Amino acid sequence: MDQLITALYSIPLLGLVFQMAGYLIAIVPPISPIILRSATPIAFGALCGVMCERSGVVNIGIEGTMLASAFTGWVVGVALAPTLGTPATELFGLTPALVIALIAAIGVALAISALHAWLSISVRADQIISGTIINIAAFGVTGYLNSIIAKSSPTSAGAFSAFQPPTALTDLPVVGWLIGMFFAQGPISMSLIVFVIALQILLFRSRWGLRTRAVGEHPKAAETVGIDVILVRYRNVIAGGLFAGLAGASLAMEATNSFQAGMTAGRGFIALAAMIVGRWTPVGSLLAALLFSSFLAIGQALSFAPPSGQLGDVLSSLPSQLYDALPYIVTIIILAGVVGRTRPPAADGQPYEREAAT
Amino acid sequence: MRIRPAGLALFAGMAIVLSACSSSSTGNAASPSATPPPDPCAGVTAGKAHTAPTDWSKAKIGVVTDIGTLNDKNFNEYSFKGAEDGATALGAAAPQSVVPKDQSDYKKDIQTYVDQGYDIITTVGFNLATPTTCFAKANPGIWFVGVDQSPICVTPQGAPDTTFACKGDAKTLIPNYVSLAFQEDQAGYLAGIVAASLSKSGEIGAIGGTTLCAPCVRYIQGYTLGAQSVNPNIKVTPAYVTRDFSAKAFQDQAGGKAFAENYLTTNPKVDVLFQVAGLTGNGVLDAACAKNIYGIGVDVDQYLSYPAADKCIVTSAEKKLQKEVSDALKAIGGGTAVAGDNTFNAKNDAIGVSDFHDKASLITADTKAKLAAAFAAMKAGTLTTCPTDCGVGPK
Repeated sequence: MDQLITALYSIPLLGLVFQMAGYLIAIVPPISPIILRSATPIAFGALCGVMCERSGVVNIGIEGTMLASAFTGWVVGVALAPTLGTPATELFGLTPALVIALIAAIGVALAISALHAWLSISVRADQIISGTIINIAAFGVTGYLNSIIAKSSPTSAGAFSAFQPPTALTDLPVVGWLIGMFFAQGPISMSLIVFVIALQILLFRSRWGLRTRAVGEHPKAAETVGIDVILVRYRNVIAGGLFAGLAGASLAMEATNSFQAGMTAGRGFIALAAMIVGRWTPVGSLLAALLFSSFLAIGQALSFAPPSGQLGDVLSSLPSQLYDALPYIVTIIILAGVVGRTRPPAADGQPYEREAAT
Repeated sequence: MRIRPAGLALFAGMAIVLSACSSSSTGNAASPSATPPPDPCAGVTAGKAHTAPTDWSKAKIGVVTDIGTLNDKNFNEYSFKGAEDGATALGAAAPQSVVPKDQSDYKKDIQTYVDQGYDIITTVGFNLATPTTCFAKANPGIWFVGVDQSPICVTPQGAPDTTFACKGDAKTLIPNYVSLAFQEDQAGYLAGIVAASLSKSGEIGAIGGTTLCAPCVRYIQGYTLGAQSVNPNIKVTPAYVTRDFSAKAFQDQAGGKAFAENYLTTNPKVDVLFQVAGLTGNGVLDAACAKNIYGIGVDVDQYLSYPAADKCIVTSAEKKLQKEVSDALKAIGGGTAVAGDNTFNAKNDAIGVSDFHDKASLITADTKAKLAAAFAAMKAGTLTTCPTDCGVGPK
């Protein structure tokens, strides 16, 4: 076996490909839980996008919604920690304070989504502008409130802790690392896969899904068969807030235990890209988010644990900035080339106006 | 309104690019500048003619932090606390603070203070060196205090020197600009001694915010040399979160945690981790705690400033930001301020390692002796704590 690998590695040029494959096989399984963890806020944000856009409402306010719910989760946790902060359960490190904070974070996201729904559905405002307002307002308001609250350096409510699957399972050959990837996670990251699969099935196999897609593709036709377009859109946009809320909460209550101004750092926009790369489907969005965070993690690993041998020599001659740019370059290439012509829902971004009864 | 797929794809691509390079790096000493920008001071205007007050208790003091947040439990926050202490000592009103959103805000934020007739403007962070130089030159009646902005590099005319020839003497050309510089490599050296003494595996790590941050690089260079002074065979693996000035470098705790987890997974033997990445670095400490290894904080005593990681913080490589900023303000009020580069190091007790708190039992008498010896040698000026390419990050 070793001889075979050595032989493969020494083939000119093609050998480099084998060496890269060998490196990836060695490096990806151990860091796979980290990949899913950093994909979580992006994938949840993308699910919010799918919910909205499948019913015909563009939502670029995901970034701001995430930021607002991250802030709310943190601040409610801070307020409740002294009274409801203990004791944390063994599993996930749950405390009453954290659970209430999570609910509050989701609540705020639902409220902001409701605002977006009202502006873009009832008021028929430009949906891009509405989303932009949410982004700017969320950044300003949370930043200002944070600068007031953080002055007293309050104790945070802590964060959800990750589940430790038994090593007997994670050490299984071939599939063990996948178990580690999906189960060595905190509750929000772990729930991601459940939400993705459920939403995929609902969207393409349920009555709700069919109506949602009909409203997003051809609202007038949907209306003629008796679907309440306005109601469907409201319901979907507001329900999408659930995912943006989870995305924000995962940042402030699972990945870290604190809030800082602008902590979403563009993840809400990357989520939109993931949604498009994933062709407006939940599973596609998850895969796109995973792809993005994989290349982020692999780019990092390449810089602090470079492969040895020929491949290492080649890589070390590349400018290291390239590793930082890797996830973005890969996303652009995939967006432009592999995915091909993406087709958004036909009525995406168009306000719907009922025809007056004659 | 119909959005074409191509338009949407373009928008998404734009979003990616924008979030990837949300800030460009301009005017920092560490980045090689291919084509020098035409005028680094473009847009800087002098305020109304301003004379220093005779009664400093009426002084108006403003602080401009680096991008991101004032409450970073670290560099920005403790520099501001220093300004608060200084204001109290002068009997002046509490200082105002402003946090730039990105690099394009630096000039605008300083200009606001200038236009409102502030008497002392403190700017925090090496990124603000160029704008501070511009404003100090244009407003000789206002005192400027810069943290981490040395060496002040100016042309013989007193303008910021984009070619980094540094022919001008800032002290005489801009006598109202007090720059506070710390010798981070000395603090890092002491932290390295602690790390190497604690490491059982013979492998220790350090994570810096960006390769372009010279103070960060100095910390890590000193740390490496300090560790090697205890154990010549020790393996020190430094890593930098990013190579630019994006938010990832110092303001992304979640990203810092993921980065450090990745680092610790691919370097599994590392058992002491030193963070030099501000708020991003608090995520690095989170990752160290989660893996049950030791973490070392930076700039301030992070055991006190970031209690969430108390479980694993052994000590912090400290520079006495709060005291020196406060002292600089007091000196301005007292008329004894020294313009130009003020270097703080072991000689004036301005660097060191923080108290070990509940980890004191881990620090052996031998380690303490080594720390004391190294500190004494730094005071005497006989110890090399930084290599020849001091402050130059890996490419």
